[in-house]
Amino acid sequence: MAEERIATTKTAGSWAWFFQRLSAVLLVVLLTVHIYLDHYAEVGADITVGWVHERLGQILYIAVDYAMLAMVIFHGLNGSRTILFDFDMFLRRRKLVDIGLWILGIATMIWGIFVLIPFIDG
Amino acid sequence: MKASSFKWLFGKNSEFWPTNMKTGMWAWVGHRLTGIILVVYVFMHLSFLSTASVGDKNFEDLMATTAQPAFVFADFLLVCAVIYHAMNGFRVILFDLGIGIRKQKLVFWVMMAIAAAIVAVAFYVLFDEGLFKGEWF
Repeated sequence: MAEERIATTKTAGSWAWFFQRLSAVLLVVLLTVHIYLDHYAEVGADITVGWVHERLGQILYIAVDYAMLAMVIFHGLNGSRTILFDFDMFLRRRKLVDIGLWILGIATMIWGIFVLIPFIDG
Repeated sequence: MKASSFKWLFGKNSEFWPTNMKTGMWAWVGHRLTGIILVVYVFMHLSFLSTASVGDKNFEDLMATTAQPAFVFADFLLVCAVIYHAMNGFRVILFDLGIGIRKQKLVFWVMMAIAAAIVAVAFYVLFDEGLFKGEWF
């Protein structure tokens, strides 16, 4: 384990490292806004489809939701990649892991985009 | 797979055996555990919302289910995981910037103190609003 973990910092890539930090900082900001507005600002209030639809009438909410989705998918899967590369069996199949995670990430993003659309349309 | 192939994870000689772990190692293990939990949660979140997005009835059912005290508490635990992951993540970034490495244990506990304060406020708001009252199961 120990040897492989040291190797990971070299093999995971410096772009992956940089964007993991960048998305982390953005997520702290976006998630604070998300959790506060959706769960704490009007805590205990009845949440209806109409209320969600009304809020998503503002382009800013849609932009924030989609930005958060993209950031969270990247950060989550890139973090998973780091964990996978701590194991020799995955480190030996780097390309395959990368391709698999990209497909999963893009598919999840498309899925997420479509999940929000009925709420926007109302 | 043989049990002996998990020796790196279990057993007294494992670096993950509680008495073999020091502050930084606990922080690292906690970061990974909360990370995995949050990745799984994001997929659950999308899955539940995709059901709730088709039909007002589905949405109302989801809201009624998640308003139960046990679900609110699970949601609170999720917030705890997010706050831990964020505060420990800040610590990692500080070290990347070369800040506080020599005082890494102190930095960890300062971050945990901030995390505890946020968690306490989050709990108080939910408790004060009476969201933990009622049938738990």
